[in-house]
Amino acid sequence: MSVANDLAVPVGTGLGLSPARARLARNLAIFGTIVVLWEAASRLGLIDPLFLPAPSAIVAAFVSLYVTVGNAWYHLGITLVEVFAGFFAGSALGIGLAILVGLNATLRRFMKPYIIVLEATPRIAVGPIIIAALGFGWTSKIAIVMLVCFFAPFVNTLSGMLSVNEDAREMFRSLGASKWQVFRKLMLPDAMPMIMAGLRLAMASALSGALVAEFISANEGMGVLLKRYTSTLNMDATFACLLTLTALGFLIFRSMELIDERLVFWRSDARAAAVGRRRANAFRSAAIARGA
Amino acid sequence: MNSIAIDRSSAAARPVPARPRVVGGVSAGETVIEARGVTKTFGDGSVVALEGASFEAKKGEFISLVGPSGCGKSTLLRIISGLIPKTGGSLSVHGREVTEPRSDIGMMFQKATLLEWRTAIENVLLPTELQRRVTADDKRRAAELLHMVGLKDFEFAFPRQLSGGMQQRVALARLLQTGADILLLDEPFGALDEFTRERLNVELMRVVAEVGGTTFFVTHNIQEAIFLADRVMVMTPRPGRLAKIVDVPFERPRDLSIQQSPEFNALVSEVRDVLGGH
Repeated sequence: MSVANDLAVPVGTGLGLSPARARLARNLAIFGTIVVLWEAASRLGLIDPLFLPAPSAIVAAFVSLYVTVGNAWYHLGITLVEVFAGFFAGSALGIGLAILVGLNATLRRFMKPYIIVLEATPRIAVGPIIIAALGFGWTSKIAIVMLVCFFAPFVNTLSGMLSVNEDAREMFRSLGASKWQVFRKLMLPDAMPMIMAGLRLAMASALSGALVAEFISANEGMGVLLKRYTSTLNMDATFACLLTLTALGFLIFRSMELIDERLVFWRSDARAAAVGRRRANAFRSAAIARGA
Repeated sequence: MNSIAIDRSSAAARPVPARPRVVGGVSAGETVIEARGVTKTFGDGSVVALEGASFEAKKGEFISLVGPSGCGKSTLLRIISGLIPKTGGSLSVHGREVTEPRSDIGMMFQKATLLEWRTAIENVLLPTELQRRVTADDKRRAAELLHMVGLKDFEFAFPRQLSGGMQQRVALARLLQTGADILLLDEPFGALDEFTRERLNVELMRVVAEVGGTTFFVTHNIQEAIFLADRVMVMTPRPGRLAKIVDVPFERPRDLSIQQSPEFNALVSEVRDVLGGH
């Protein structure tokens, strides 16, 4: 059995599997092959374990970190708190400020130079200053994640709000809409795709932000654990930590994608059709309840 | 797809606007719009977009505004709607001077400007929603209007699922949902293809007659202007001016075939002569 063979002939086509299952089977086969080759190369001494530990060693480190010793849970929890607290606070601040600035042209003119200066400053360079001010604990990490998560939602919300179609504004005006109604029923939903894109960017940088903040100076968190294992050359555990963070990053990315699809349903044909059917059913049952 | 479970026969007898009319007991033939020397200038007054337009409109009349770009037809329509202020003259609708957008005056634009996150029926309900709480009756009315403009079974489609013509039909239903009896249409089907436009024009005539609205229809197509209207206001550019008002004697509703008649062509020539000098 070889990788080349698997690529040439889709696995499972002869076994009556569906194309999706056949693809999954092929990918698993490729992955299994890589792991087996990697393990074999490690055992034969072809790979320096300080550079890349054997898969079996990484699995053993995983079991120790999360089952037998279980010391990683605490650090993972700390990092998660930093990531989510920082993300929510930072993006809420970003979106809120963008709405204020978006609704008020005078404020916009006044704020612009400050926003440009802040945007030009590499956020992470402010990290050590924040730690000096707030200490080594997790509060300073949350503040750093907030800073990292502020800009993308801010900039996107603002540009989303300012790019609202002039014709739609005129239509709202002709219907006698108040300023609040224009904001609530036109600008905000219209900016939603942009806001979500900003939030996805923010969420992606939140995890990196928390880790870098922990690298700078901290007593707890996955960044600390990773740094600690690297400095003692415990590469098995280092890789187990890294894989944890990969899984975490993937989960975060996927959930943001799902939330995006739900909130901005009108940008996809399939989702729009599903939402339309649901609303039609709700309307119909309401009509039946009224006895119409 | 299924239609909504509502009783359409009883609904048809219900009065049209959900909102009270400004003037009670309006009789046919009553003057509802009176314009005297309506003028619009820009800057220090040197750029004249519209120069002294005077006209009247009777209840239920269909009036076309035709002319090349820059003749001030859209400007005039926006002044009637209250979207932009005039710089001179007087303009009253239902006996009240127009100074801002009003609930008795509704406007429809060249672009459908539907909210893409709302279904067709939710788009139609927008005008009501901006004024007060939406009731079950409002929803029924919105469904009827969608039915009236030929969109039965599309109540819960999102704009992206509708063609350009269907989107304009939703916009028309939304205009009627306002309950306004002065309907201002700014090249409403101008972005659509010829065939769709012709069909929608015929339906538009039927629908506005059904709701009894007084209609102003802006277009740059002479045939279309004459075919739809009781009177055609012919406008010329530099400066924007109301050059002539042409009466169209054909009975409504009309059939597309009248466009082949000699009388129709005589009217086309008359309008073209007015525009010809420009």
